[in-house]
Amino acid sequence: MGQLAGKVGVGIKYTVLIIYLAAVVFPMFWVVYTSAKSTQEIYKNPFGLPRVITAPSTENAHILVENYKRAWIGSHFSQYFVNSLKVVSISLVLILLFGSMASYAIARFEFFGKQFLYLLFLAGLLIPMQLILIPLFFQFSDMGEWLTKAFAPLGNLITGGRGLWVVSLHDSHAGLIIIYVAASLPFTVFTLTAFFRTLPNELREAAMIDGAGEYRIFFQVMMPLGKPGLVTVAIFNFLGLWNEYLFGLVFLNSDSVKTLPLGLASISMQAQYKSDFGLMFAGLVIAMLPTLLVYMILQEKLTKGITVGAIKG
Amino acid sequence: MKQRQRFFIFTMLSPALLLYGLFVLLPAVNAFRYSLLRWDGLGKPVFIGIQNFVKVFSSASDFGVALKHNIFLTVVPGVFTLSISLYFAYIIHQKVKGARLFRIAFFFPNVISSVAVTLLWILIYSTTDVGLLNHIRKIWFHLPAYAYTQSANLLWALVPMTVWTAVGFYMVLFLAAMENIPESLYEAARLDGAGPARLFQNITIPLMWDVLTTGIIFLVVAGLKAFDAIWIMENGRPTSFTHTLSTLMYSKVFEEYDIGRGTAIAVVLFFLVLGTTLIFRRLLQRERLEY
Repeated sequence: MGQLAGKVGVGIKYTVLIIYLAAVVFPMFWVVYTSAKSTQEIYKNPFGLPRVITAPSTENAHILVENYKRAWIGSHFSQYFVNSLKVVSISLVLILLFGSMASYAIARFEFFGKQFLYLLFLAGLLIPMQLILIPLFFQFSDMGEWLTKAFAPLGNLITGGRGLWVVSLHDSHAGLIIIYVAASLPFTVFTLTAFFRTLPNELREAAMIDGAGEYRIFFQVMMPLGKPGLVTVAIFNFLGLWNEYLFGLVFLNSDSVKTLPLGLASISMQAQYKSDFGLMFAGLVIAMLPTLLVYMILQEKLTKGITVGAIKG
Repeated sequence: MKQRQRFFIFTMLSPALLLYGLFVLLPAVNAFRYSLLRWDGLGKPVFIGIQNFVKVFSSASDFGVALKHNIFLTVVPGVFTLSISLYFAYIIHQKVKGARLFRIAFFFPNVISSVAVTLLWILIYSTTDVGLLNHIRKIWFHLPAYAYTQSANLLWALVPMTVWTAVGFYMVLFLAAMENIPESLYEAARLDGAGPARLFQNITIPLMWDVLTTGIIFLVVAGLKAFDAIWIMENGRPTSFTHTLSTLMYSKVFEEYDIGRGTAIAVVLFFLVLGTTLIFRRLLQRERLEY
């Protein structure tokens, strides 16, 4: 009797897990294989496999190519993709560099106001991005004006007096990168400070005896040792920034500077009106695949990052 | 030497501090100043004291409605997410076959951008033949199509989507906490004749309480900040059925050019986030159990 109940329990357990697995994985498979169908085919047979698989032929494969070509070139997804790649990679490099520099100083040195400084960075974890969004919008306008004035002599020189050299932080990748870096620092400093604290001091002392200066010790000894921590921080920041929508929405207007989430959102709004489902599915795949791939490759590290965070509380 | 080390520390700190100070702290402080102004963003700002807040909290204001939506989006998906992820963490912790597969796959929705997730669900909810749910309604139950993403129905439609996205993350978080509990405690309790329910209630939950608290705070804060999905599903035009604090703030500033009122909403949002974090930490904090 008890054994039977146990077996039923196990059965229920696996049933629930498998149903949930299907609920998570099926929609993604659906998007991927549907992106190989023409819009008419999608309407006629929304959930069946595409003809490229059921009846492979160059003609049916052409539909797939056509959808992606329309998304990648026709709807500027290539542009959005490159923009995202640029914004996120530059941001990441700066976040890791500045974040680890500050964390190292806080973790390994004694100086006046150190505790205050650390708490100041931590306070950033409690600031919702919505709070700084609007003031930043106007601050960027003021700063742009100010920079334009400051650069006016230089601008005159470059343009040969033909006009002002207008500096704008709005609608520019530079502006977005600045925000992304600044807003990512609290989490980065918090995580990396904890990490740098755990590194042994002997290596630094040994390097000092060898006559290495503090800068060299940091860049050549401590940074490489900090790699596991840097990787964890990089993954979390990558996923957060690659998927970021709100700041992009406020600060990027022109189509040519939009990042992937913004491009995807505006294309889908247009595609919905035109009911161009082939394009929508292809665009979705282009947006989903990079993060899924990064996750598949680095999932061990990401899970470990959450685990460490969970245990530290 | 001392001088040189001081210079070193200074150069290491200044880039981060400069960026953080100038582009996070300064605007955060400015937000409080803006919330006391009447300003259209172009003309001369007028100082009006706390009038923006008085208007925001007045009964005729759309703020209360938006806050209710935030509370809905915190509580309803939150309860489901918490119980489902706790259940999955528990049964996966009990050693199931394919644990690795489940753990990796359940996390998928969490790494996809909110925009992509929203689009995926727009397709799932679609009233055309492409809509998975309406397809099932039609073929299996012979029911007419239902407009899931229509403004009046949207908040409920966001519940499964939010749960679907979040469960994997919280499961990994809770699983990590469970794996950190020493097996010896369970063994000792089993020897004393405790059943699985007792073990869960008296060992698992108390020993992962800190992480559970963290999870609850994450869920509440996410509900308070809700923006992306509503904004996209409503095509940038949320209605009185769907406005949240964030979308309302955006509309006040960038559509009604009422900077003061919009920022006042952001300030309230900040205090709500701060308040829930502190209160939940206090309220839910039991004596830290050492083991």
